Order: sequence, then structure tokens, then C-alpha cells
Amino acid sequence: MKQYITKSLWFLFFSVVICCLIYPAILWAIGQTFFPFQANGSMVNGPDGKAVGSLLVAQPFTKDEYFQPRPSAASYDASASSSSALAASNYTLRNRVATALGPIVKYKSGPKAGQLVGPDIEVWFQKDSFGGQPHIVAQWADAHNSIAQGWVTGDPAHSAYVDAWAKSHADIVSKWVKDNPGTPQPKAADLAVLFFENFSRDYPGRFPSAVTETKNGKSVTSIQPVKEGSDIQSNFFDMWRQDHAEADLQDVPGDMVTTSGSGLDPDITMENAEYQLDRVASKWAQDTKQDPAKVRQQIETILQQNAFAPFGGLFGEKIVNVLEVNLELRKHFGAPA
Amino acid sequence: MWLLPISLLVFTTLLAIPMSRYMAWIMDGKYNAPGFLRWFERRLDSGGQNWKQYAAALLIFNIIMFIYGYLVLILQPIAPLNPRGLGLLSPTTIFNSVASFMTNTNLQHYSGDQHMSNWGQIFFVIWNQFVSAAVGLCALTAIIRCFRAEQHLGNFFVDMWRVVVYMFVPVALVIGILFLQQGMPMTYQSTHEVSTLEAAAMGTTDNGQAKQQTLVVGPVAAVIPIKMLGTNGGGVYGMNSAVPFENPSAWTNFLTCFGMMLFPFCLVLMYGRMLKKMRHAWVIFSVMFILMAGTIVWAVYYDTLKPNPGLTAHPNTQTFQIPSASAPGGQRAVVLPAVAGLPVDQHLGNLEGKELRFGTSAGATFAAITVDVTCGAANCEHDSLNPIAALSPMVGMWINCIYGGKGVGMINLLLFLIIGIFLAGMMVGRTPEYLGRKIGAREVKLAVIALLVHPLMILGPSGLFAATDWGVKAESNPAAHGLSQIVYQFSSASANNGSAFDGLGVTYGFYNNPNPAPEAKAWDIATGLVMIFSRYLPIVAPIAMAAALGYKKQTPFGLGTLRDDTFTFGCLLFGTIIIVAGLLFLPVAALGPVAEHLGPIPFGG
Repeated sequence: MKQYITKSLWFLFFSVVICCLIYPAILWAIGQTFFPFQANGSMVNGPDGKAVGSLLVAQPFTKDEYFQPRPSAASYDASASSSSALAASNYTLRNRVATALGPIVKYKSGPKAGQLVGPDIEVWFQKDSFGGQPHIVAQWADAHNSIAQGWVTGDPAHSAYVDAWAKSHADIVSKWVKDNPGTPQPKAADLAVLFFENFSRDYPGRFPSAVTETKNGKSVTSIQPVKEGSDIQSNFFDMWRQDHAEADLQDVPGDMVTTSGSGLDPDITMENAEYQLDRVASKWAQDTKQDPAKVRQQIETILQQNAFAPFGGLFGEKIVNVLEVNLELRKHFGAPA
Repeated sequence: MWLLPISLLVFTTLLAIPMSRYMAWIMDGKYNAPGFLRWFERRLDSGGQNWKQYAAALLIFNIIMFIYGYLVLILQPIAPLNPRGLGLLSPTTIFNSVASFMTNTNLQHYSGDQHMSNWGQIFFVIWNQFVSAAVGLCALTAIIRCFRAEQHLGNFFVDMWRVVVYMFVPVALVIGILFLQQGMPMTYQSTHEVSTLEAAAMGTTDNGQAKQQTLVVGPVAAVIPIKMLGTNGGGVYGMNSAVPFENPSAWTNFLTCFGMMLFPFCLVLMYGRMLKKMRHAWVIFSVMFILMAGTIVWAVYYDTLKPNPGLTAHPNTQTFQIPSASAPGGQRAVVLPAVAGLPVDQHLGNLEGKELRFGTSAGATFAAITVDVTCGAANCEHDSLNPIAALSPMVGMWINCIYGGKGVGMINLLLFLIIGIFLAGMMVGRTPEYLGRKIGAREVKLAVIALLVHPLMILGPSGLFAATDWGVKAESNPAAHGLSQIVYQFSSASANNGSAFDGLGVTYGFYNNPNPAPEAKAWDIATGLVMIFSRYLPIVAPIAMAAALGYKKQTPFGLGTLRDDTFTFGCLLFGTIIIVAGLLFLPVAALGPVAEHLGPIPFGG
């Protein structure tokens, strides 16, 4: 028995030296000698010669001049990779996708072919009737409690707005507390559904949203009931869709609205890039005051030059690396306006 | 689409043939190592061991592994190679991680990129991955030697040395170089901070500055080869092989898949070579091959060829009658309205939780393979697989011998094989025999004990957790999928797999984390214990069984002998696996993934 412990310790010692010291050191030496670019993280430099990131890791782009990567469940934080971990049966997934779709979806056929559905969602929303029942916002909050709560907790301004509402509607809140004895001191999130039900009655066809106004030369942002805007197009696209199941809409590339496994997927499909091409090209044309058709042609060429397919095309379809393409754009057209 | 899985299966099988020859040659001690290596062998050799001594040495060494792992993790805050100053993990997480890596499971309740310094990655992760894989391989070797009725079973420590130094290290070095060329980082540095090209898009910090992107790098190219070859699966990054640094291209994805399949494929053939029963080994190999192909086809068909059902139309209004005490007639009708589809092009299949650079069917293929060989790495989010496709990884863990882990997969198959022969013998009224030895009550008892540990360790704790806050508060997805998350976690722990439905709240993080997952402690302790029980009983009991069987008198091959190298025998083995596993796990499959598939999608929320 004692002998086995001694031998175990010997093996522990030998194996730590071999597996933890020698083995990684050999790979480190080979990597730093023959593959220094890869071994240090495939870092690339920006226009000013400073590193702007790794070719392998997605980074966020919001400007219209740039191609945008897939949405990220990790907020593009390369020190905390994360997936959404949402099951297909989880409504949160469908809601997230619908929210992303609302402002970008276009009609495929019919008299409005090629036009955004967004304005129609606003018109439908203002009529305040879903499935033949009045009060869209109330129905929305009733059906999706956790999403209504998510709206409240997602932004400090939102919860402040609900708190202010609760203060000015003490009678409604105290009645709610009586019906829900488990929550004697409700927080803003607890009152989310109640708030939206009342809001919907007070402001039919409106939704609380951030509005920026200029007062005395200063811009002030506050939450106000609005009847149009991206919040409405996003949040109510799915309900609009249920009321308009027959509407023929253009499909959006799947990778544009789904999050990747790591949250750091550096690539998008070629279809996704083509889908964004019009926006990117017209913006660059505007910035550089060049002919839009020519700019589009140039960017199309950049895309084609940078496209590649997994395993030389044997295992999958064409994709492009977003950072690589955007660096090319930056080099070609200069800094975006 | 199908080219990736087909090429993987064919390529690995072809390479396994010469590789298994090499392994048998090493384990038979025919390799005459150069002098300085023989010095190490002599240093470690404690003399020939019988099966009890061999098992005792194995267990004692595993206790040492536990202590060593504990020390390394506890030292993280003060150890070198930690420029980020990462702190001490919570005590339960340390217990869980040590148990997990010691048992070749690599279930990670911590998140590699957030919680582990390069110190831990090198001295804890890499070391355990080399050594725990070797332990399983040695156990299988001991069983083979029992079946050969050898005087003694060799020496555990010498076997360990041979496996680690003559097999794992050279192959890991070759694969590591290929990985390096493709873009895996290999540095002792910890992070890079960069201002991204559109700096403002990262958001702003509290003092109004544009946030920087922090890229975690490290000795990735050293960890990943052995992570795959040892069917360990514990990655450097939280999201494992989905993270670009850990799996930069379609080519590395192919290699990682190949890496985790290689040794499990080889071990079946090594079994045949060492027993001089190659035809028998090929029959076993074929049964496993068909099962693996089945799980891959299932996953690819339902996940890559079908869209994510959460986004598609469900055109029929469904009405369910559910029992309700308050409703008249005791039945209440629940109406689920028809759902219109969202305009999403899903011709590439379900892309939620998938990476694009690996190829179209890569996520589903990887998900099936990683559980079959109990690796547990993942290149997509298993939680977001289509509901019925997720049955494939679960079945892989439940059967646990579709090639299976290092050595233990083949050992598990031997259990099914003994039970199968026993049942067949009962049916035709002959004394069951394996390798010419009569299977007696003792062998069957030991086989059944080892076999039943697995379902008990999955279904028992799953039931307990599903019924209590421990499970309910950890679920992140509704209804049937929530149950699937619990069952998956315990299946993964018991199969010593290590993959997970990542939504489950099991991460405590550092000991001073103010907001840990509420039930993380219960999960740490429960899965830690499950991993330990499900590792050592199914190693020791089969060695005892093999010893009881192997030293019996060999009866000569006769007319009435059950031939173990025929198509019929393959069917017998296949049937036994399917029926036994089906009887054990069909009910829970119906409650989890099948219910989710049939039930309303989307569900509530």
C-alpha cells in the first residue's frame, strides 16, 4: 500500500514535468517560431497601425457603413463567451427574433413589394385591435409577462417611468397589492403587467418610448407615449404577423437574427452580406459623394474577394469574415462620416 | 451536408487500423524504449500485480489525483501565470471541478475564460486530461489481460507511463502543430485589450470612455489536442469548441472530431488484437459504428434539415383537454391558437447556437459524436438544438458505449455483451459462454451492478431535482425543456461526458460572487458525487468480473458454442443494447424531448 503511494507520487511528478512543462513548451516554441501571428491570437491592425482586434473574433459594428456581424448573446465580450441557450420552445427566442425582424422586413410581392412593413405595423398598432379584441399593449403584456417585465428591468429609465406611474396611481397599486398578498412591497418589475394594462387603456394605440427633444438648446431624453417608431415596429411585429398571416414577406437570412454558439462568430453568410449590401453601399456613396452604382460594384467585388467556404466548399456555403471586409472598406473609402 | 460525417467515420476507421496495432504493441510491452525512458519505467515499476492489486493501485492513484487537483485550484489566487488576478473559485465548484476532471468527465460548472487562469489551464486541465484518460485505458488493458488469463496483469504505473508518454504526448504534439497553423493561440500571455474598429460600438464604460474588447488568449493549442484525444472535453473557454480561438476553422473542426473519435475507435480493435479475436472485435466495432451513424443521422436530419420550430408557422389550432378540479366535468379545454411563421430563411437548418465556419451540418454532427465517445466538447449550443434532435445526444449518453470514453466505453459494452450472452443462453437452454469460459452467477451479478449504476445515477437525482427547488430554480427554459435540462446534466455527469444544456443555472463562480446561480451549490455537490460513483464502480466491478471469468477453465470450441464473430452475434448485441437502454430511458425521453417536440411551440412566456 505504501509502495503504491510512493509510485503514485513518482508518476505524478514525472507526468507534471512532461505534460505541464515540456509538452506546452514545445508547442509554444513551435508556435512562436513558425506561426507567431496565429499563436498570438491572429491580431490585426487598424488604419492607425494599432491592433483593432482578432480576425477570429467578432466585434460589434453599428454604423450603416459597415457590415454587421451576427447578434451576440455575449455582447461581443471576448472574455466571457456565451450562447443564448434558448430552447426552440422558449417564447423568448421567438420574441428576440421577431424584435430584430420588425424594422427590417420587407414585402415580397403584392402592391407594396420591396417596401418595409414597419409603417404598416404602426398603422395597425394605432387602430389598437388584435385578433378582434381591443388594447394591443394590454394583450401583449398579458400574454408575455416576462417580456413585459423585461421591458421594465431592461432600462433604468423604464423602471423610473413605471415607478412614477405607480406613485400617481396609488389606488390601482394598492388594489393590486390586496389581490397579490405575496408581494406587499411591489417593485417596478412586479407591476409591469398592471402598468401596461392601464397604459393601454389610458393611451390606446400608444407605447411608452424614449423621445429626445431639444429644450433651450439642450437635448433631453424622456419616456413618452408614442404612436410610431422602432420600438413599436420591433415589439409588435410578431402580433402584427399573427393578424396578417397571409402577408407575403421577404425572408431574412437565418444567421442575421440568430446568435452563435460562442457569441463571437466572426463570419456571416454571403446571403447575409448581400442583404446588407444596399444599406452599406448607399451609405458609403453618400459619405464619399460617389456614384451609388459604382460604389455598390466596388463593395460587391470586395465581398467576392473575401468570401470563402468551409473546407473549400465541401462542407458548407460561402461566408465572409466581417472584420476583414470592414477593414477593406475602411482602407478603400476612408473613415465613415 | 452528409460529406462531413461520412468522411469523419471513414477517415477515423482507416486510421484506427494501424493505430490500434501500435497501441496493442505498446500495451504488450513490445516497445523497447531507449535507455533513459526505461529508467523511468523501472522507477515506476512496483512489480506484477493481480487484479485486486491493480485495482487498488488505480484507486490510490486517483485519490492522489484528487488531492493534487484540489491543491492546484486552491492555489490559483497566489500562483503564477495569473496576470488577471483571478480569485478563488467557490469551494463547491472546486470540489465539482476536481471530481469532474479526475473522472474524465470535464463537466464545467465554472466558465474557463472567466474563472480559470493559465496556471489552472496548464497544471489542472492539461494534466488531468492526459492522466484521467490514461486511467480508463489502463483499466481496459487489465480486463484484456484477465481474459488472456495472464499470470499477473502487469503494473498499473508502468501502464500509465506507457499510455501517457508513448501514445498521448506524441499524437497530441502532432495535432497541436496542425491546430497552431490554423490559428489557435499558444502563448503564456493571458489577454489582449483592443479598441475595436468602430470603437463606440462596444458601448461606454462608467466614465464615458469607449469600452475595450478583452480577448482572452492562452495555451489553447496545448489544451485542445489532449482535450479531444483523451475524450475529455473541458475547454479553455466557456463555450468550448464553439469559440473561434478554440476551433478556428472547418479544418480544425474536422480534426477535433477526428481527435475525439480516434482512440475510442482504436480501443475496440486493440481489444481484438490483444485477444487475437479480430473478427469478434470487428463485429463489436460494426455494432458501435451503426449506432453512431444512427445518432448522427438523427441529429443532422432533425437539426440541419429542419428549421428551428420556434420560428416557423404552426398552422393548426390545437385544443387539449386537461384535468382540472375546479372546471365542470373535471376537464378544462386549453386552446392553442395557430401561429404564423416569421420571415426567416432557414435553409441552413437551425442556426441558433451554431457557428458558420465549420460547415452546414457540423453542429449536429459534432453534438452526436461528442456524446457517443463521451467527450463532451461542444461546437454548438445543445440547449438550442431542435427539441427532437436533442434526443440524439441524450441517447448517446444513456447507452454510453457507442465507442464510449477512453477504455470505459469498451468496458460498458462488455457488460451489455455479458448480459446479452446470458439472456441468449437462457433462451436456448445452454450454459452461456464468453471466450470459452462459462458465465456464472458471480459474473452476471457484477455486470448488472456495474450496468445499473448508470440509470440509477441519472434517474434518481433527476427525479429529486425536478421535484425540488434545486432543479426548478435552475431551469432556464419552460416546461418539458426544463426537465430535459435537468436530465441532461445528470446524464452528462453519470456518463462522464461533460457536455451540458448550458442554460441550466449551475455556475457559482468565485467564492465571493455576490450573485451566484441560486442552486449552484446543490448542483456542484450532486453532480460531483454522481461523477465519482459512476466512474469507479463501473471500472472496478468489470475488472472483478473479468478476473472471475478469465481464470476459469476454457472449454473447447464445439458445435453448441455461441459463435461471437457472426452477423447473428452482432444482432444479439445490438438488440441487447437497444432493449436494455430503451427499457431504462424511454419514459424520461417521452417526458423531455419528445413532449417538447409534440407540445406547443412556442410555449408560454
